[in-house]
Amino acid sequence: MSALRMPRVASVQFKPFKAKGWGRITFLVVTSVLMLVPMYLLITSAFKSQQDILQHPFSLAPDQLTTEYLRKAATNPDFNILKGYAVTILFVVSVNVLSVALAGPVSYVIARRSERRYRMLLLLFVAGTFIPSQVLVIPVVYTLKFLGLMGTIPGFVLFETTLTLPFSIFLYAGYILTIPASLDEAAAVDGAGKHRVFWSIVFPLMKPAVVTMVILNTFSVWNDFVNPQIILGPGSGLYTVTTGVYAAVSQYSTDYTVVFPTLLLAVAPLLVVFVLLQRHVISGLTAGATKG
Amino acid sequence: MRARLTTLSMVGPALVLFVVMLVVPVCLSLYLSLTDWDGYSANPAFVGLKNYVSLTHSAEAIRAGWVTLLIAAVGTVLLSVFGLGFALLVNGASRLNAFFRIVLFYPHVLSALVVGFLWSAVLGTSGVVNGWLTSKGAEVLPFLSDPTWALASLIAVLVWAGFGVNVVLYLAGLQTVSKDLLEAARIDGASKRQTFFNVTLPALAPVVTVNLVLSLVTLLKTYDLVVSLTGGGPAGSTQTAAYLILWDSFHNNALGFGSAQSVVLMVITAGLALTVARLRARADRGVQA
Repeated sequence: MSALRMPRVASVQFKPFKAKGWGRITFLVVTSVLMLVPMYLLITSAFKSQQDILQHPFSLAPDQLTTEYLRKAATNPDFNILKGYAVTILFVVSVNVLSVALAGPVSYVIARRSERRYRMLLLLFVAGTFIPSQVLVIPVVYTLKFLGLMGTIPGFVLFETTLTLPFSIFLYAGYILTIPASLDEAAAVDGAGKHRVFWSIVFPLMKPAVVTMVILNTFSVWNDFVNPQIILGPGSGLYTVTTGVYAAVSQYSTDYTVVFPTLLLAVAPLLVVFVLLQRHVISGLTAGATKG
Repeated sequence: MRARLTTLSMVGPALVLFVVMLVVPVCLSLYLSLTDWDGYSANPAFVGLKNYVSLTHSAEAIRAGWVTLLIAAVGTVLLSVFGLGFALLVNGASRLNAFFRIVLFYPHVLSALVVGFLWSAVLGTSGVVNGWLTSKGAEVLPFLSDPTWALASLIAVLVWAGFGVNVVLYLAGLQTVSKDLLEAARIDGASKRQTFFNVTLPALAPVVTVNLVLSLVTLLKTYDLVVSLTGGGPAGSTQTAAYLILWDSFHNNALGFGSAQSVVLMVITAGLALTVARLRARADRGVQA
């Protein structure tokens, strides 16, 4: 399972280029500035007036700064950001719990059984990674309508969970193969049932793979736009951070005292998570990028 | 019997959900693409391959196809060039390199929707850059209001937001280059350039291929950024395939036609993703060998 073999780059010692010179550092500093300018503008403009944003976008004079707009954005009647956070966190937690509860046991069966049909089952699940979700959501609307789940939280959570299954099962099944089967056989001899063996013996050992998936699912659910926009729709009154931002920002796209504070509030939680857990987040999201 | 029930209880829930929410919808798409359904009527008529034929005549769909291919092709090249270039520059264990890697990667953490709104506030006609230019008495630049500029801006933002992932993938690849070979090249007096082209790059070949195909697959699905950065405009010049598919399906009520486009996009991305899977398997075997 190649995704798990991501080396920790920080522990690497050799350098193909001994470009330690100031040229390299200068170039990287300039690039870093270019990378960070939009973030700088996002953060500083959230505290400025429209006129200051447009005339002195880069200046940071303390007398220009005010938290007025940020407070206004936080209490925007069109988009209650706190409700947006709450709804999105609810989705993130539900999808993560449901995903591991469903993908864990099936991966265990796939990894421990050698019959052909379980290999076919893995292939079927993995084939799901090849379907682009932006396109899949169209027919899913009609499946959900048929089930009476269109526009509901369970409908959205179930679909979003389904999107996590293919890669989770691929990752978990591969990981369980590295856990010696003698461990669960010993537990089975002691009379523990299959579910019990999985959850109390195997699952605790799968922590690295589960962490990767939780990071990946958290970011993809939090950042997802098209699925909540279409499944929950404007009519349901439910919005996530992204669909709320869309509703609040696309309407006032040139009033930057609305745009910047709203965007800042939308990205702040994930940026904090990223800063705290950089290495885990980078390897988790990169593993996700390789699923194609 | 008991054992079978246990197995069923472990496999069943995930399988049922997967079939209901993924297998059935994909089959539904295939079926709808052969009908003239508008999303409402009770009896959609079966029209055979008509939607696929009209796809080849639709000026809008053809343009969206070309725009998507252009974004995918140019974006893929840039992502890989930047990815490998910066991977070589930030390879190594120093704190400074760790900092640079984080800075290059961070936009990937943000949702594409937010990235698009942020850049449209920066580049828009009345945006930050143009506001600043105006206050300095300079001309306004049409970053998002001229078709060619808008497409270039879209690709530039995609690359800004995405190449950090390629950097990390290439960094992982660089760790697999044989140290003995690099050492041998050094002892034999090879220059840095010679070492790179004759030792590093050949060893990276499988990683390069994987990066290229992965970027291609991701870029072919570009949607969120189009919504927030350009809204498909000006005059539809930045509409991608995914954008047009959702537009046709839900705004134009041409669900049959939209489904036909979806099927074509699914087949193309699935074909490319399968290629990635094969290449990865081969690359992994190469690493183990």
